[in-house]
Amino acid sequence: MTAVTAPRRRRSRGGRETAVAYGLIAPNLLLLGLFVLLPLAWAVSISFQRTDGFGGGVFTGLDNYARLLADPVFWRSTGNTLLFTLITTPLSMGLGLGAALLLNSVLPARAVFRSILILPMAVSGVATALIGLLVFDENSGVLNELLRFVGLPAVQWQSGGAAAFLSIVLVTLWWRTGFNMLIYLAGLQGLSPELQEAAMLDGTSWWQRLRLVTVPLLGPSSFFLLVINVIYSFQVFDLVFVMTGGGPQDATSVLVTYAYQNGFVVRDQGYAAAIGMVLLVFALVFTAVRWRTSRTKDLTG
Amino acid sequence: MRGRSPALPARGRNTDAMEPTRRQLIGGAGVLAAPLALAGCGFIPTGASPSADAQTLTFTTWGTSAELTGFRRAIASFQKARAGATVELNAVPYEQMFTNIDAQIQAGNPPDVFRVPYYTFGAYAGQGQLLDLSPHLSSGFADRFTPQAWAAVQSGGKPYGVPHHTDTSVVFVNRRALDDAGVGAVPQTADDAWTWSQFRAVAQRLRRAQPDRKYPFAVNWQGNGVTRWLSWLFQADGRFLNETLTASAIDSRAARTAVDFTRSFFPDRLVPANDSVKSTTYAADTWYDQTTAMVFSGAFAIPDADSALKFDWTATPAPRNVRAGGDFGGNALVATKGAEGKAELIAAFFEHVTQESQMRDFCERASLLPTRADLVEGGIEFAVRPELTPVLLGQARAVRAEDSAQVASPDMSKIISVLQDGLEQAFVGGRGVDATVQALASGIDRAVGA
Repeated sequence: MTAVTAPRRRRSRGGRETAVAYGLIAPNLLLLGLFVLLPLAWAVSISFQRTDGFGGGVFTGLDNYARLLADPVFWRSTGNTLLFTLITTPLSMGLGLGAALLLNSVLPARAVFRSILILPMAVSGVATALIGLLVFDENSGVLNELLRFVGLPAVQWQSGGAAAFLSIVLVTLWWRTGFNMLIYLAGLQGLSPELQEAAMLDGTSWWQRLRLVTVPLLGPSSFFLLVINVIYSFQVFDLVFVMTGGGPQDATSVLVTYAYQNGFVVRDQGYAAAIGMVLLVFALVFTAVRWRTSRTKDLTG
Repeated sequence: MRGRSPALPARGRNTDAMEPTRRQLIGGAGVLAAPLALAGCGFIPTGASPSADAQTLTFTTWGTSAELTGFRRAIASFQKARAGATVELNAVPYEQMFTNIDAQIQAGNPPDVFRVPYYTFGAYAGQGQLLDLSPHLSSGFADRFTPQAWAAVQSGGKPYGVPHHTDTSVVFVNRRALDDAGVGAVPQTADDAWTWSQFRAVAQRLRRAQPDRKYPFAVNWQGNGVTRWLSWLFQADGRFLNETLTASAIDSRAARTAVDFTRSFFPDRLVPANDSVKSTTYAADTWYDQTTAMVFSGAFAIPDADSALKFDWTATPAPRNVRAGGDFGGNALVATKGAEGKAELIAAFFEHVTQESQMRDFCERASLLPTRADLVEGGIEFAVRPELTPVLLGQARAVRAEDSAQVASPDMSKIISVLQDGLEQAFVGGRGVDATVQALASGIDRAVGA
């Protein structure tokens, strides 16, 4: 009897644990399904339709995707999105790592500096962009006033394509460096100092210790930040929408602002959904490739 | 070597099952707050769901405080005049207005009545989302409005709304900047408005008199305001759509003249480089900070300008070319198709709010222009800067019905996008006049499905 009851009891305890686990994960799964997966499936369906902007639509197969291929503004927006991602991701991470290394050392008043760097995270994207406008307004912005004050020519931050793009990148870096710094700082504080000391005893320089010990050990933080930064960059909207509106001449148009323009201004929601799908595929492919190629991802989650 | 202590498990915490833990409290609060948060985001309509009560209308609008006061006064007056009737006003920020309305239409619970700009009206009327008011309005109702106002609420020859008020652009001028440049008194009536060449001469005089970083003027064609570029087209006696609104009519000499004239503002440095149609800097901001000496703007801006500006300013009519002309700005009131069961109540409400006394009160308080023919002929006086009223009313009279009727096109949203792309290329992209007009013509044809 005893031999039979014990495994049954174990099974019953195991079943209860499974039920509890499902119970705990259920609210998240429900929210994920309701607010992410269902709208996603809906968006896929809309991307195959010619919509009237008010819920009605006619199935048109791959027409919207075919239109994308022949749309120069789509390609410009795709190029801008990729360029923006390529510039902001390494710079955000590099600046974040630099700041974290500084603030992890015996810098005086480091708590104040940490707070200053983290502060932009507490500000909403739209508010950040409005601050950006005050700084980069080419007629009366702070930056051009400063340039004029020191005798330099004013820059066309809003009417020059390259300068407008640069202004978006600079505000993004200001906004995002604090977040990168915070994650790296947490990573640095979790590193064992023995390894650094051992490397020091072996006669390594500061740069060698950084390159060969610290950065590899920060692999899980870097993996997380790389994925997050790339996804944030792919999805950039509020800064561009408020600061430049995608202009001048689409020089700062990115995929999300172009999707918004089509979905909510032109009311061509099928086409906007197709642009959204392209964005989704980019993000999924990048994450999958990075996941498979990363040796330092945090497998324990 | 510095050691780190492993995180200690929390001890001594009250784990009494009968008392809620902090986590449970936060979770509970989250559950309770979720519907509020969702409602705040516009996911759950708050006051805008169609009311089952046949004597209650739900009315969604945005507005300045003066406009909302005007609406509340009009509603109170209507409720007093019609015992038992109730109008539930749902005021929302402009930025959320039409994404909310569209979502509510898609979800099948739009408000009974909402306010809509004339250039957006066609998108709703043309897609069959609005109530055809022709069987419900009293005979002769149309006669109270100016022809240009009535034309702006027609779709397929039927009225799908009532023109509640209008606005159009004149030129606000910084008096001192013009004096410093030696420009004398500015015209006060549409008849003696500057011609294009006179306007250009004034601008060039300002250009010479002002320092390099200041500019003669700015034009308010940013964002959806790109329809204000059409003023120049109308002044050159051009059209952008044919009479049946089914094909482009912009490939014309008038359009070339308008593109050529407005395009020259940029290389001649008559406007700031960031005054293009896709700029995020509004023209008025450059006038407020005295980067520009003149700005194209409407009556709605008078109260803010009066309270905020420290310099002496006045207004002059928009310049004319072949004829005077202007954009037909402003907003209509419309009813959604699903509110047909309340059509009689809706028609009564629309008739009430467009009565002479109601429209006068609304327009004078909110500094907007009337759409009633009797009031346009000089029957109102703005509460703020009343001496500017004749300038604005004169400009409103210059708008023609054939101009405003084009803006009611059901494809206006797409046409706006075409205008933005085409004019941006001309103004800051260096595209030539002919290429611009051809791009506008083919884009408008695609937009209307011609």
